[in-house]
Amino acid sequence: MDLSLAQGANPRRWMPTLAAGLSIGEYAHSLVRRLAFLSAVLLVAIWALSGQGYFWPAWAWLGLGDLVLLDFSASWAWRQPRGAVRRVACVWALVGAAAVILIFTWLLTWLLAGVRTFWPAWALLGLATSGSAYSLIALHDRVLVAHGRRALRARIDMLTRTRRQAVDAQAAELRRIERDLHDGAQARLVALTLQLGRAELRVQGQPEIRGLILDAQREAHHAIAELRDLARGIVPPLLADRGLVAAVESLAARYGLGTSIEVDTRRWLAPAVESAAYFVIAEALTNTAKHAGAGRSWVLLRDEHRTLAVVVGDDGRGGADPSGSGLAGLRARVEALDGSLRVDSPEGDGTVLEARLPCG
Amino acid sequence: MRVVIAEDLALLREGLVALLRENQIDVVAQVEDGPGLLRAIAGHKPDLAIVDVRLPPTFSDEGLLAAIEARRRQPALGVLVLSQYVETAYASELIGGDTAGIGYLLKERVGDVRAFLDALQRVADGGTVLDRQVVAELLAPHNGATDALSGLTAREREVLALMAEGRSNTAIAENLIVTSGAVEKHITSIFAKLDLPACHDDHRRVLAVLTYLRVSR
Repeated sequence: MDLSLAQGANPRRWMPTLAAGLSIGEYAHSLVRRLAFLSAVLLVAIWALSGQGYFWPAWAWLGLGDLVLLDFSASWAWRQPRGAVRRVACVWALVGAAAVILIFTWLLTWLLAGVRTFWPAWALLGLATSGSAYSLIALHDRVLVAHGRRALRARIDMLTRTRRQAVDAQAAELRRIERDLHDGAQARLVALTLQLGRAELRVQGQPEIRGLILDAQREAHHAIAELRDLARGIVPPLLADRGLVAAVESLAARYGLGTSIEVDTRRWLAPAVESAAYFVIAEALTNTAKHAGAGRSWVLLRDEHRTLAVVVGDDGRGGADPSGSGLAGLRARVEALDGSLRVDSPEGDGTVLEARLPCG
Repeated sequence: MRVVIAEDLALLREGLVALLRENQIDVVAQVEDGPGLLRAIAGHKPDLAIVDVRLPPTFSDEGLLAAIEARRRQPALGVLVLSQYVETAYASELIGGDTAGIGYLLKERVGDVRAFLDALQRVADGGTVLDRQVVAELLAPHNGATDALSGLTAREREVLALMAEGRSNTAIAENLIVTSGAVEKHITSIFAKLDLPACHDDHRRVLAVLTYLRVSR
């Protein structure tokens, strides 16, 4: 039974009826309050007519007030969430009602009978103590669980934050390595080949030495080419130098698929997000070029709240295997950023790859 | 020939300076960054600037941008851009609308001293030199330009690639071990297939590739 007062009940109506759409509970509710008020007024009228004197209606008010008070506190307790909280609320509703009755009774004895001592003191103390004891026993596990949950949430927050920091730091470090490879080791090797070239120019008529120099130069060239491939695998230079859009445009031009590129974001992207987006697009375009036999392909970069949405699609033959090694690697890369990757590739109906990368 | 070098790595810069001086090329200034290059060009009016793509402070494409700006200010200036990696986007930006006096080479080509000096001379003379990797990427089967170039035979592609590197007919003939006459025949055929009008410009040869470089962007 619902004891709470319905929102729709019009409090101005003097006597609500069942016909007004109230439930029996609500009806009883308002009936109690109105009857109590009516009786209180009626008793005062009787007292006034019967020659006044000792103000006995006050005691009747106490009884009527108790009824309304219990009604109020019970409906308040009933509104609390089910379980331990509601049980505790019921106990406190009773304790509160009892306390109010005690204090009010004392007030009447003081005003009407001149009792000076505050006799309900011990009773109130007893009520408060037992109420608190009950609450403690009923709710202690709840408090502990809530505490544990808070601690867990703080831990998850901390882990999420530090993981993101680690991923960002790793991406920044990879860019530094790429730069170091190009501008450090590779540049030194270039300087070496230059010196070898100068030496080779000066050798006159000593084919053996000339041969050795050319061999050394060839080795240096191999080393340079290997370093370059290594650096490109870490971070494509155009991505490091000019950012995602330029790198994607270059990629699309290289595949010659006539890919349309739509960019709807001006957000600054962290290196980790930029790299992940780039490799998603690169993998998707590679697959399109190799397998799809597509007539049309497109790349879409879009801001969605605090997320970069990367969509790459084609109208090719579809049927891509989402558990393939390339896509699995991408998924790992995207999930490390708390992102998600979705592959939609029905047989014969194109492929759409969609990654969502949170941008912090 | 008067040359300005913009390269931030001292070892390489000094090596280049020594190489050029040994070969009677006048290095009028050596600078380490883009603004330095522009100042040196304004001050010395060189024939040629050798520019590293990545220069301080950002170490991204500052050198390229400075080279383009230098060309804008002084159109007669030959610019040879050296890069650690091949990026066709860079080549096409560098070329812009004018192919005369432009070079884009991988850095390690400086090791092949004779070819490098030859490239310098050609760029200073208003020629065009593209790294063979740029050319290879442009002519690779996955490139969009393939459609337009698909009419060429394998031999014509080889000739075109060598032309795009800025080689002379004699050099191409030597490289492919054919006669100069045969090379000329191939070139005429390439021009015809690519629908390029014959003109006096010595460098229309590389236009064949450069056209597609621009078209594919």
